Amino acid sequence: MMDVSLCWRPPAWTVGEKRMRTAPTLRRLLSALTLLHVMVQVNSQKRGALRDLKCTTNNLQVWDCAWKAPLGAGHGTVNEVCIDDRLHSCYPLEKGNVKIPALPPGDHEVIVNYLHGFNGSSAKFILNEQNVSLIPNTPEILTLSADFSTSTLYLTWDDRSCAFAHHSKVTWEIKVLRTPRMELVNVVTYNTTLHGRDTVHYWRWTSDLPLQCATHYVGIRCYLDHLHFAGPKEWSAWSPLMNISWAPESEAKAFPQDKVVLVGSNITFCCVSQTKVLSGQIGKTFYPLIHLYGQNVAIHIQNISVSENSGTNVVFMIEDNVCGTVVFAGYPPDVPQKLNCETHDLKDIICNWNPGRPTGLVGPRNTNYTLLDSFSGKSVTFKRFETLTNESYQLLFQMPPHQEIYNLTLTARNPLGQSESAILVNITERVCPHTPTSLKVKDINSTVVTLSWHLPGNFARINLVCQIEIWKPNSKQELNITIKGVENSSYLVVVDKLNPYTTYTFRIRCSTEPFWKWSKWSSGKRHLTTEAIPSKGPDTWREWSSDGRNLIIYWKPLPISEANGKILSYNVSCSSHEEVQSMSEILDPQHRAELQLVKDDYIISVVAKNSAGPSPPSRIASMEIPNDDLTVEQAVGLGKKIRLTWPPDPNVTCDYVIKWCNSSRSEPCLMDWKKVPSNSTEAVIESDQFRPGVRYNFFLYGCRSQGYQLLRSIIGYIEELAPIVAPNFTVEDTSADSILVRWEDIPVEELRGFLRGYLFYFQKGERDTPKMRSLETGHSDIKVKNITDTSQKTLRIADLQGKTSYRLVLRAYTDGGLGPEKSMFVVTKENSVGLIIAILIPVAVAVIVGVVTSTLCYRKREWIKETFYPDIPNPENCKALQFQKSVCEGSNALKTLEMNPCTPNDVEVLETRSIIPKIEDTEIISPVAERPEEISEAEPENHVVVSYCPPIIEEEIANPAADDAGGASQVVYIDVQSMCQPQARPEDEQDIDPIVGAGYKPQMRLPINSAVEETAAENDADSTAGYRPQANVNTWNLVSPDSPRSTDSNSEIVSFGSPCSVNSRQFLIPPKDDDSPKSNGGAWSFTNFFQNKPND
Amino acid sequence: SLYLLSLLLPLLSPAAPISPAEPISQAYSLALYMQKNTSTLLQTYLQYQGSPFSDPGFSAPELQLSSLPPAAVSFRIWHALDDVERLSRGQEAFLALSQHLQLVGDDQSDLNPGSPILLAQLATARLRAQGLLGNMAAIMTALGLPIPPEEDTLGLVPFGASAFERKCRGYIVTREYGHWTDRAVRDLALLKAKYPA
Repeated sequence: MMDVSLCWRPPAWTVGEKRMRTAPTLRRLLSALTLLHVMVQVNSQKRGALRDLKCTTNNLQVWDCAWKAPLGAGHGTVNEVCIDDRLHSCYPLEKGNVKIPALPPGDHEVIVNYLHGFNGSSAKFILNEQNVSLIPNTPEILTLSADFSTSTLYLTWDDRSCAFAHHSKVTWEIKVLRTPRMELVNVVTYNTTLHGRDTVHYWRWTSDLPLQCATHYVGIRCYLDHLHFAGPKEWSAWSPLMNISWAPESEAKAFPQDKVVLVGSNITFCCVSQTKVLSGQIGKTFYPLIHLYGQNVAIHIQNISVSENSGTNVVFMIEDNVCGTVVFAGYPPDVPQKLNCETHDLKDIICNWNPGRPTGLVGPRNTNYTLLDSFSGKSVTFKRFETLTNESYQLLFQMPPHQEIYNLTLTARNPLGQSESAILVNITERVCPHTPTSLKVKDINSTVVTLSWHLPGNFARINLVCQIEIWKPNSKQELNITIKGVENSSYLVVVDKLNPYTTYTFRIRCSTEPFWKWSKWSSGKRHLTTEAIPSKGPDTWREWSSDGRNLIIYWKPLPISEANGKILSYNVSCSSHEEVQSMSEILDPQHRAELQLVKDDYIISVVAKNSAGPSPPSRIASMEIPNDDLTVEQAVGLGKKIRLTWPPDPNVTCDYVIKWCNSSRSEPCLMDWKKVPSNSTEAVIESDQFRPGVRYNFFLYGCRSQGYQLLRSIIGYIEELAPIVAPNFTVEDTSADSILVRWEDIPVEELRGFLRGYLFYFQKGERDTPKMRSLETGHSDIKVKNITDTSQKTLRIADLQGKTSYRLVLRAYTDGGLGPEKSMFVVTKENSVGLIIAILIPVAVAVIVGVVTSTLCYRKREWIKETFYPDIPNPENCKALQFQKSVCEGSNALKTLEMNPCTPNDVEVLETRSIIPKIEDTEIISPVAERPEEISEAEPENHVVVSYCPPIIEEEIANPAADDAGGASQVVYIDVQSMCQPQARPEDEQDIDPIVGAGYKPQMRLPINSAVEETAAENDADSTAGYRPQANVNTWNLVSPDSPRSTDSNSEIVSFGSPCSVNSRQFLIPPKDDDSPKSNGGAWSFTNFFQNKPND
Repeated sequence: SLYLLSLLLPLLSPAAPISPAEPISQAYSLALYMQKNTSTLLQTYLQYQGSPFSDPGFSAPELQLSSLPPAAVSFRIWHALDDVERLSRGQEAFLALSQHLQLVGDDQSDLNPGSPILLAQLATARLRAQGLLGNMAAIMTALGLPIPPEEDTLGLVPFGASAFERKCRGYIVTREYGHWTDRAVRDLALLKAKYPA
């Protein structure tokens, strides 16, 4: 670390204010440059002409003439100068020049007398004022001082040198020179007028180069413009130069220091150093060095940009040190914008403004603001060091008493300048009151309260306009009041027309007249007004109990607007004509009372009581006037309302009462009631309790003087819905061509509307037939009867077919829609005559045919035997390999579906001759052939008894087959004769079915037309590799046995589904070469099938 | 009250010096904690002074303050210091630092009045310097050494300084604060080893 230390002493400079001691040579040079002489034309006299005659004056009083003596004559030879005027005055000649008092205008002859040398001769010349030059005395600088911090020179001098010339104009010329080359930095002229007194003049000049950077010299001369002087006027000689210099310290220093400049200005910085300065930079930017003298250097920056808060650093790097300074470039303050002055309390004026463009200057250089009222002369100052950004500035100005109008001027100042804006305000028109506080409410009575609040400020001279906001549940009211302002800030108003026992929330805000601004709302104040007596008696109704002995009084709780308080109890009393019968007090939550009455003619009165007192009574007569011609009407509502109308009845004097209840409730039933005036003829009943699809009873009572009379009874729905149940119906009677149906009513709760009729559908069909589902699709075979007579309970359906199943459907409907359906299947009875005919004719035909056939057979018995039963049967006659229609017909889905238990059957093969080849086939191709010893054992036998099981349950067969393909002990052998048997006796269905169902299933039911089944079969073949007929019994059911493909024996599919094996057609059509279909356990697959197919 | 004071004084300064290990350990912890923040303080300070102070890598080791003792010392001299010298030099430095930090804080509230972060960091550094000063006094008390009187290290120096001088001064103070903290950590580590708990 270098231990070079900087001395941080403050600049201890002194102003070198000493007069310059100019060198003599320089002085002569200056004189030569500036002293001008006007040559006076001299009339040379006879002997010895005067050379270079010059006359000047510096005070207009004395002319000073000088000349060179004629050749050969010295000055010593002249003894006097005489002027040829009236006095003929002579002046001794001094040292070669002569001072002559100023002569009047005009030519004067001047005689120079020589005492010696020229023998008393003399020389003459003509002297005129016009030939005399006015050259003022050389002015003298009084002081030259400098303010180094601002680089300003201050010069003072007086006009003593020209003091004689009253009221003349003087022009001063001041020059500034600067080291090292004494270059002329500045020349200015400065005009003054002489006043005869010895006036001191001041001149100030600010240098662009800091004064510390170089020595500055100042000189001055003057020019007197005397009006009454006819001769030429000339500049005086320059005063001696005075200088200002900086006593450099040992440490390098940079100048100017901490200068505040306008953004964009040009500025020069210098470094006064004893050692060599290497570089100069402003911020990050380096600038070329300008060498001053010695090691002092300067840099010049043009168009300086705005500084950051701590200023722009100017740094000079010296060999072993740095010197630096800081410049603050910013802006003069902007004109304060949006100046606005108002008062909250007429005590202080608050002025806000926006400072406008930032100045870029902070701290001591930040803008300060002064607010001055020119009327009162008072001012306040605002000063902050940091700049507020995006914030409004504020100043508080204390109001002098009784002053209303203010002329406020806000002046913004910073080191770069100042600006101002002004506002003229009548402060009483600019009042924005504070927020009212301490809002209090006091009761006067149940409808009147007083509001009091505190509003700080002295408003004694103005009126306040206050707005009171009064909230009560669900409503808001605003009240504007004008009150006289007071000095002590307390205000009180009366608010009336309030409702008793109501919670109000009050809040208040105020402004002044004339309006300027509202204050903020005060906080709300809740207040509950006191109770008043209830304004009305409760709405009352009465019902007689079902036994007619007790009268039940109902009343509704009073609405809050009428209760005027908390209802504590009700007083119920009844009176007949003369006396009050009874009186009872019912506490509030109960709204009914039961009275035991002896007579039926009383007036019942109900009074509600709160803490303020009882309400007016509401009275109701107990008597019920009978009405004979009463009909029940129907009504349907709209939305949640139901409208009831009635003709006007002049007998009704007090009012109408509509009461209603749910029709399913027991008597006495009362849900609610509604009173309407006696002059109305309709009422709209609305209740939240109403539900759609529920039947309500409405009763309209008319009030007469004696009591109430039931005028109308109405049943109604708010909204009709469809029934939720179907009517129960039964078949009363069935004949061969008609059915009598009877049904029951639907209960009211389930009907959910007014019954408008029934829809009866009937259709041929049996139970479980899927296409019987929809009634709405309009099938031609569905017949519909619409029964609109709702009282009808039976229906006879005629023109039906005998012994036919019919589906009957009954539905009820209301205006709300159709209810659900209920259906029933009925079979009509047989037509007995037709049945008899139907039996007899076939029997007769059968007998005839039988007789004829028997006859024919007898006659042709030999041929028949040869043809049908030859001794040696012709195998070609067996149609076992064909799917004949007759064989396949009679498929019975139901039977096929039956899952009979496996019942082993025995098939006895009687004729071995024809069977043996089949067995060989089996032996070779069947998967069972893996165990030939079993077969070989069976071979020698003449009749082979094979037990087989109809493989109906898939799992039972498939699993053992898969586990051990050869292990199936129950081998399926095909008896061709048994195959052919159905063919021979197609009509005997009963016999065939068990064979088909319980025994071996011929493959006629295979899913041969289903590709899906093919793949299913393939999977089966892969997994089981055993004999698996009926693998998918369900699909077999769907296969039509008379499908044309099923008879096509050449079809691949058919060959797959061969009559003997699902898996292997080889079973039936064995290949002659026995090595190709080598059976390898359960390895049968479709591949085998296709490979072997060409062998067919 | 004089009588009362004379009664209290012996109680406040017990004759038997307490173990110096605890104040040494406390001072060491504080110095370590201070050490973590010194570079932040210096960087924050420079960042607010504008270029070239805020330029990355700014360093001017040649700048020194005559009123602030430099922390740099040759290792041989440093190692040869005895406890009294070691502690009193540290005390002298941190006393000067705390006064200078106050001065720098004042300077910066003129130059950067709208920079609360910088002003707060300077104030915090000053409080920590005073805290370390107190801890060192406690060590000296524990070691039975005389506590040097507080001196006005700043004297008449600072008020007429130019903005540039203030910036440089602040730089030197914050820099030396770091150096002195580093040195204090080493001083106290040495003492800690010498006076184990």
